[in-house]
Amino acid sequence: MVEKQRGAMRLAACDPAAHALGLTAGMALADARARVPDLAVFDHDPVADLNLLGWLADGCERYTPACMLVPPQGLLLDITGCEHVFGDAARLAKDLHARFSRHGLSCRIALGRTPDSAQAKAKYAARAISDVPVEALDGGDKVHKALRRAGLRSIGDLAVRPRKPLAARFGKAVVVRLARLLEEEDPRITPRRSLPIIHVAQNFAEPISRTNDVLATIEMLAGNAALQLQERGQGGRRFEICLFRSDGHVARLAVDTGTPTRDAALLMRLIRERIDALSDPLDPGFGYDLIRLEVPIAEVLANVQVGLETKIDTDAAAAALIDRLSVRLGAERVRQFHARQSHIPERAALERVAQSDVAKADWPKADWPKPVPGEPAMRPFRLFETPQPIEVTAGFPEGEPRSFRWRRHVHRVTRVEGPERISPEWWRHPRGYAPGNGSLTRDYYRVEDNEGRRFWLFRRGLYDEIERPLWYLHGIFA
Amino acid sequence: MNKKPNHIQPTLSAGAFPSVQGMWKQYQSDAAQSLLPTGAPYVDERLRGGITQAGLHEFFGGAKADSHAAAAFALLLAWRLPESDAGIFWISGDKERQTSGRLYPYGLSAMGGDPARMLLVQTADLRDALRAAADAIRSKAASAVILETHGNARLVDLTSTRRLALAAAETGVLALLVRGDAVPMPSAARTRWRICSAPSAPLPGNAPGLPTFDISLLRHRGGAAPFAARVTWDHATRSFFDAPLSGGLSAIVTDTETGPASRQRA
Repeated sequence: MVEKQRGAMRLAACDPAAHALGLTAGMALADARARVPDLAVFDHDPVADLNLLGWLADGCERYTPACMLVPPQGLLLDITGCEHVFGDAARLAKDLHARFSRHGLSCRIALGRTPDSAQAKAKYAARAISDVPVEALDGGDKVHKALRRAGLRSIGDLAVRPRKPLAARFGKAVVVRLARLLEEEDPRITPRRSLPIIHVAQNFAEPISRTNDVLATIEMLAGNAALQLQERGQGGRRFEICLFRSDGHVARLAVDTGTPTRDAALLMRLIRERIDALSDPLDPGFGYDLIRLEVPIAEVLANVQVGLETKIDTDAAAAALIDRLSVRLGAERVRQFHARQSHIPERAALERVAQSDVAKADWPKADWPKPVPGEPAMRPFRLFETPQPIEVTAGFPEGEPRSFRWRRHVHRVTRVEGPERISPEWWRHPRGYAPGNGSLTRDYYRVEDNEGRRFWLFRRGLYDEIERPLWYLHGIFA
Repeated sequence: MNKKPNHIQPTLSAGAFPSVQGMWKQYQSDAAQSLLPTGAPYVDERLRGGITQAGLHEFFGGAKADSHAAAAFALLLAWRLPESDAGIFWISGDKERQTSGRLYPYGLSAMGGDPARMLLVQTADLRDALRAAADAIRSKAASAVILETHGNARLVDLTSTRRLALAAAETGVLALLVRGDAVPMPSAARTRWRICSAPSAPLPGNAPGLPTFDISLLRHRGGAAPFAARVTWDHATRSFFDAPLSGGLSAIVTDTETGPASRQRA
């Protein structure tokens, strides 16, 4: 692997065979070629490396949900409380090593009480932390050189020295780092995914691949998770299924719900919908050997006694239906109306996702105008997202439309009301109210044609704003 | 959905409240049979009371541009349901939204509806839309489900409409199928209508008036004879009324099984 560093092509990484020939990372390519003329060279691709590392981290989540990337080559797993599944930490490491070698990857695994210690041991292939060279302190070349000159070559040499003179000479950071390496201070790692509130998992000695088995397992896990949620008085808003394939691949399925829930049956319906909606179906390959259900987001959900009223049923059914449709079609396809402060017609009404993470009660209350008895609707019941251009015959200069042509059909106007003048929101435009594009007044007309259809037309621009204003059809009245 | 009783569950022995259970059953079967009147006396008389609430009804646009009228009429019919009921689902595909625009809540509220009750479902294609409609009807979440389709679609056939009709009969949900720019094909709908926009009674200053429709009943499973009428929507009472013709006649009565005679006369 080569990469351009400091203006020259240098080796970025080499395989064990190259190491055996005496090549090391950082060597100039020309020097390496001189030593080994038939050297096979490839471009270094850091992005692909990072992707591979991410993929490996996904796979490692079978051991613990707390997993952290240490680019360019490291992975940190916090296995506190997770090792009993494998017996002890050494067996877990053995299992991990076996999985990596199955993929033809070489790795060094080290266990430590603190992330720093484990990382240093793995990096310098040391058995004990006292054998690790002082470079593990990450103090910079100057510090390392000074330490070596003082005869302190390894962490073990430093460990027996008093700390205060060290801090005075090399700075506090070195001492802190030393304490972490010596497993005296334990910083937490920052996992790449936030830890789920609840997770339940099922291991299989023999990988399973039939969809029904997978679903049955998920159902059992959902039941367990529901029990845990019940104990906490919570309901999940998001559920994630992780399917760990025996070859290391991990498939993740996430299901969101509009209201907190701990109903396993409902959850199963949503998960089935989710699996049905997958664009490429689940590929079990050689089977899954671990299935885990995580609840990353949960909210308070009180126990409710079902009353005799049917109203609760309707609300709950509505929430369930919205969840189902949102899972199947995508949350952005199930919407509700939402008002916004604006007098530009198309800006005044939005649609927002019905399955919102904001509780419904917190939504700004839209006060849709009440109808006036005897007055017809002044706004159309249907609005075109983009106003439809039409050709209009109208009185000059600012007269009513007489007839117009839309979608190759001529409509003769028999009744008309207008104009209703809507000024542009000039404060939104950088140049303020200036005649020209982007800030034109609209004159709206309610018209009815000779066949009894009612439309909402507007002329974009007054004659003193623009030379030739254009006409558009914006909406349709019932 | 998850609102389960957790502690004391009232234990009902089977025979303890026979009357309550009986009443409940009775109520449910009544609900299934109940009719939804349009409010226009002439129309309701010809329909013998109204359209079946627990059923599927089809609305065809008279001409290509009348798909909006069909959609509006279906929507207004759904608003005839009592306000306290559950939401109204409006299901349409990307294609329909592209050609017909979106529903505009200010217009809806101006016609007497409550936009907050509306739930909009936009699907990628008709297959999804039919499935979503069936789900919405089957759940007890909706009081009315309106499915809008555009063009002659082979998917909307006897099988798919029967699925919707059976679900509607079971749950008592009003299921309305709007078919813009389509030719009637065999279907399982209880009634089939052709809807056209009609000239409104003008307001002072020759301004367009209240929403007015020429409706013709093409088919009725209950055996009511086809008829045509002109109705106007009154948002104050949230009901239709028989529209007078400009000549001062009462609602037109023509045996227009075949053509939009009413339109030509208007």
